[in-house]
Amino acid sequence: MIAISHIIPLFVAISLLGAFIISIIGKRLKWIPDVIGNITTLILLGLSVLAMWTIVTKGTLVYSVGSWKLPIGIALVLDGLTAFMLITVNLIAFSVSIYSISYMERFTSKWKFYTLFLLMVAGMNGVVVSGDIFNLFVFLEIASVASYALVAFGTERHELEAAFKYTVMSSVGSLFLLLGIVFLYSYTSTLNMADMANILAQKSASNIIIMVIVLFITGFGLKAALVPFHAWLPDAHPSAPAPISAMLSGVLIKSLGIYTLCRIFYNVIGINPTLSSILMILGTLSMVIGVFLAIGQWDFKRLLAYHSISQIGYVILGIGLGTPLGIIGGLFHLFNHSVFKSLLFLNSGAVEYATGTRDLKKMGGLIAKMPVTGTTSLVASMSIAGIPPFNGFWSKLIIIIAAVQANRLGYAFWAVLASILTLASFTKVMKYAFFGKPRKRWSEVKEVPIFMKLAMVTLAIICVIGGVLLISNINQIFLKPASDVLLEGTKYADIVFKGIQ
Amino acid sequence: MNLTTQFFKFDNLSMFVGIFIGIFFLLIIIYSFGFMSQKKRLIYYYSYLILTFISSLGAVFSNNLILFMVFWGFLGLLLYLLIGFGQTEHASYTAKKAFIIIGGTDALMLLGLAIIWQLTGSLQMDRINITLNTKIAVLAYMCLAVGAFAKAGAMPFHTWVPDTAQDAPTPVTAFFPASLDKLLGIYFLARISLYMFKMSPALNTVLMMIGSFTIVAAVMMALVQHDLKKLLGYHAVSQVGYMVLGIGTGNPIGIAGGLFHMLNNAIYKSCLFLSGGAVEKEAGTTDLEKLGGFAKIMPISFITFLIASLAISGVPPLNGFASKWMIYQGIIKTAGNGSHLWIIWLIAAMFGSALTLASFMKLIHAVFLGQSVNEKFLSNQTSMNGGVINNKPREASPAMWIPQVFLAVLCVIFGVFAYRIPLKMFIFPSLEGKVEFFGIWNASLATILIIVGIIVGVIIYFLGTITKTRETEAFIGGEILEKQTNMRVSGTEFYDTIKDITPLDTIYKLAERKVFDIYDIGTKMTFGFNKILSYLHNGILLTYLSWCLLGMIILFYILLR
Repeated sequence: MIAISHIIPLFVAISLLGAFIISIIGKRLKWIPDVIGNITTLILLGLSVLAMWTIVTKGTLVYSVGSWKLPIGIALVLDGLTAFMLITVNLIAFSVSIYSISYMERFTSKWKFYTLFLLMVAGMNGVVVSGDIFNLFVFLEIASVASYALVAFGTERHELEAAFKYTVMSSVGSLFLLLGIVFLYSYTSTLNMADMANILAQKSASNIIIMVIVLFITGFGLKAALVPFHAWLPDAHPSAPAPISAMLSGVLIKSLGIYTLCRIFYNVIGINPTLSSILMILGTLSMVIGVFLAIGQWDFKRLLAYHSISQIGYVILGIGLGTPLGIIGGLFHLFNHSVFKSLLFLNSGAVEYATGTRDLKKMGGLIAKMPVTGTTSLVASMSIAGIPPFNGFWSKLIIIIAAVQANRLGYAFWAVLASILTLASFTKVMKYAFFGKPRKRWSEVKEVPIFMKLAMVTLAIICVIGGVLLISNINQIFLKPASDVLLEGTKYADIVFKGIQ
Repeated sequence: MNLTTQFFKFDNLSMFVGIFIGIFFLLIIIYSFGFMSQKKRLIYYYSYLILTFISSLGAVFSNNLILFMVFWGFLGLLLYLLIGFGQTEHASYTAKKAFIIIGGTDALMLLGLAIIWQLTGSLQMDRINITLNTKIAVLAYMCLAVGAFAKAGAMPFHTWVPDTAQDAPTPVTAFFPASLDKLLGIYFLARISLYMFKMSPALNTVLMMIGSFTIVAAVMMALVQHDLKKLLGYHAVSQVGYMVLGIGTGNPIGIAGGLFHMLNNAIYKSCLFLSGGAVEKEAGTTDLEKLGGFAKIMPISFITFLIASLAISGVPPLNGFASKWMIYQGIIKTAGNGSHLWIIWLIAAMFGSALTLASFMKLIHAVFLGQSVNEKFLSNQTSMNGGVINNKPREASPAMWIPQVFLAVLCVIFGVFAYRIPLKMFIFPSLEGKVEFFGIWNASLATILIIVGIIVGVIIYFLGTITKTRETEAFIGGEILEKQTNMRVSGTEFYDTIKDITPLDTIYKLAERKVFDIYDIGTKMTFGFNKILSYLHNGILLTYLSWCLLGMIILFYILLR
């Protein structure tokens, strides 16, 4: 019988396999990219659910590549946080690939798109399951490089410019990360994160660790687009094709930035009050500055991109609080943000698909012509603005309660302020794009094709019922294991070494 | 633990509010059958109304603060969607504004909720009992109270009410800002002030200050409006002041008066909006300049409107008098605390009452009495609308006037039998303390003062009219008067002269430029920050990279310090 831990490498292998099949035969057979792309993401989603179930029933799983003994061999770890991230990534990837069936008809060479898309998914899954810091870096680069190409996919002037900026800034971030990993390796002589955590726990504090912390905050901050490392995001995310924007804002910045940040600071280096305050300050800065920048935008996708910065701030604030409630809130917001932000980007794509514009001033009254897009967009806007009973309300509520509970009243206040401004800017979107008087020029506009509708409706349903995830039985399966991983801190090492199968 | 008591509670206060929410819901549904007959997407309209009904019942009967917030916040969204049914150009802007104010204050309530949890470890409303002696407790109270103020429309969170009144479909206005949101907002204010927190005298004073200010400022704004629905909207704000004032008195009679006024206001204010809506439906406009002489055409609407206006002005024996009188008594009783501020509150309340009467004189003149816009103008208008001659204004359909009449009758009954019916059945059981009551008709100081108030109102009315409507032969360079449609006293300029009094003129001018609009201030500040930040994002890669370096340097500084 094959051990259950063999599912772990599949997350990378299946997506890579899909990418290769599409790149080899997708050029000739036109139906191949759609079919293989969707089947791959569907299998990945199924596997993620299985992985989560395994976590609940069996506990942490560890897979050692090539059956080498652990500190030497490459470890792949499946624990609560990993399973949570896998579900998030693959859920969004699946909806995006359904959406792309119709949307990407506008572009030539769909096979290139799907190849790059699956490479990016492979990279993200790899980052999430990797238990080895250098491997994590390699996967992170795979995902980043694929995303550079995808941002430039339209090959228009501004898309190339945005991709160039993104490439430069993200490479700078990668460089810092590599440097940080080099320092850590020289200091601990190991690349296995669990082993590293053990060794770091034995050694006393040193300036090298501070150096590493700064490099990692900068590097992961660049990947996660935290203020002041955020400036590439508002250019890069809007320039990509809509499904890719949804992936970038929905999951890429989270798996490459937030997940890695949490994993390394909580489980490897170990969190301390200073670090925790730095995270909270960065989170609050992102939250507030992001939303102030967003509210003045007239480009639909650019506005959404700035909101990603702001919402990432909430996640970091919640996780940075370090209390059980804060971490649950932060992670829950991470999931919710993936869902509603992807949905919003898909909506913006649908509007662009139907009208050909992203300028909010030119839209108006579209809800009469595009009821599905309009309604799902309303749901997503209310979710991001934190209006009950949609999912964003619950996670913001938890974050605010957690901040007050931790006696951080100031942070709670900023969270409330950002929430008000988010509401303001999304009512603006709704007013200019979907409500108001229908314009004559859009009288010929039609609702988007069925696959796009299907993807949007699925995500909208998750937004509406998202609060259900907090019911204690479901919470035990979904959020609790993930937040436990962060709460147990550097005990991670023991758990990984115990979990070998 | 029993789930019902954990999440829901059916005490007398919530029962009483719940019953009236039901009554108003039925009336509005009936009215909508008449009013909304020609508009599209009706299925959404009615389903939103039903959802509103369910969520407001949910909010009223919730015993858990989070559950309450879910219903409460969802109501904001429904209001937003319902205002969107308005046909005016600004409807979507108004919807946005109302939702930002209400949704924004809801977000503040979350903060209050979080603090309460921190203080008591419970979110069950009947278990919370916080003494307001620490700053943080006061903050929690203020956060929750702000939510109630925004919902009810007390200053300074009132600015969405007049706009909504102008732009939303009339039944929506009559349901939301006029009745439902008052019931809910004041219900919640009463809930937190009477049950969840132990009020301190200082906070009571703050409440009374907000109340008095709201009464006077809103009624002053109402005096100079030119739009029927907007004028009513300002009165909706002004009346909230009485309720807040009543609850702020902190003594049983004042609180009972505040709650009673909440009920009365919901009745006569919806009646006013519904009657106004009937006129709007027939005339096709709510601009006072274009209305006039509708008393002959629509006698039922005229009588219901008249009764409701007398009620809102506090004319005995209608219901508005009974509740205002109780509030006055409450205010006078606060004199026992040794503070002399009660005189100011009392004067503000009475002054507001007088001005309310004055402004309704203007309204009734402009809409129902006065000269009608002459026949030629009307026929011009109908011919523009397709030339159907039998499209002349007539009385509204029964679906519309039945709710109006019902509400007007309630105004009378609740006034004449104030003690026997509403107070004994609904108000007193809702309050824990014993209400010392002096009987309703042993007119003391307050009654005399009300009569003085009315007289002042009448005087202002005559001062206004006499200067404006001297009957003389009009000589306009030989032109024949009948052809000039604008040569009549529409009544809109009755009180325009108060705009010229020295300190008031600047205030009015500033108010017209929306300087006092909290929404406008917020917008300006937000876009100011936005400009600064956008300026920094110049799109040059080097700038962005240097921020990263700067960030790194700061991190080094913090960690190595």
